[in-house]
Amino acid sequence: MSQKVTRRQFLNYSLMGVGSFMAAGIILPMGRFALDPLFQDQAEGSMITTSVKAEEITEEPVKVDFSFDQQDAWYESEVTDFAWVYRDGEEIIALSPVCKHLGCTVTWAGDDANPNRFFCPCHNGMYEKNGQNVPGTPPRGPLDQFEVGTSDGYVTIGERFANEII
Amino acid sequence: MLYNHQDLKVLKDEIEFVDTALVPFASADMNEGARDNASDMEMIQMVTIQLEKQFKGRLFITPPMMTVEGMTEVLRTYISQLEAYGFKRVIILTHLDHSFESAQSIVLNRIPLEDMDVEMKMSLINDEVKNVMKQVISIWNQRD
Repeated sequence: MSQKVTRRQFLNYSLMGVGSFMAAGIILPMGRFALDPLFQDQAEGSMITTSVKAEEITEEPVKVDFSFDQQDAWYESEVTDFAWVYRDGEEIIALSPVCKHLGCTVTWAGDDANPNRFFCPCHNGMYEKNGQNVPGTPPRGPLDQFEVGTSDGYVTIGERFANEII
Repeated sequence: MLYNHQDLKVLKDEIEFVDTALVPFASADMNEGARDNASDMEMIQMVTIQLEKQFKGRLFITPPMMTVEGMTEVLRTYISQLEAYGFKRVIILTHLDHSFESAQSIVLNRIPLEDMDVEMKMSLINDEVKNVMKQVISIWNQRD
């Protein structure tokens, strides 16, 4: 004989079912809001993934483009910048292309007479490969560095900081 | 350098290094040619943004000067003002055919950008920027 479900039992079960859905509907979002700051931190200070493979980086500096969103007052736009990236032993090094003199863009081997230096076309400023400014040329300090990493074999670029390899 | 508060503050002390002013120059005529004028202006903007990135430390980009019915009095006055401020060279970046005694013109090519997709547009503009950069460098080398 199958046991019959009474009207009272049926109502109890369905009320409990609906009630737990409602409780879950209230508590889950609250829990997610409470935990949100934990997830947020990871997203901050994140590295920008470029389209260049880490294994393709050689000892010769190459231009590596990266894009990010820039907020300019109430106007947000996507900006593409680049870094000079090369390999030094096991390490990958990324230098900022912004001249420390007055902010022009420097090129690698831009001057035929100095094939192994960074060259700034504005006032003939020069930097060694590690970013060290060549004395006697206008720049007042070494080129900045970028934080570098790899993600799935691709080079990632992070925050800019003052040169530390010199 | 651009015509804004921050850059102008730096410019005052570094006028010895920032020795070249570049004036974008276009027509604002509101006639049958208005659409072409607008395209010219748009292209000049794109080129100057790139150019400023490359030559920030030596090139001062002024606000664009406009002409109506080919009048150039304002521009001529502005050129002499720039020279009085201390710029050794003044370059006019334009699509128009005007010549000035004390300033050199760089004349851009007209490219029908309105019918192109973004990537094509970017690559054509970049070519034009390289072209202009070469001309600017050759102007720098002329009298050095």
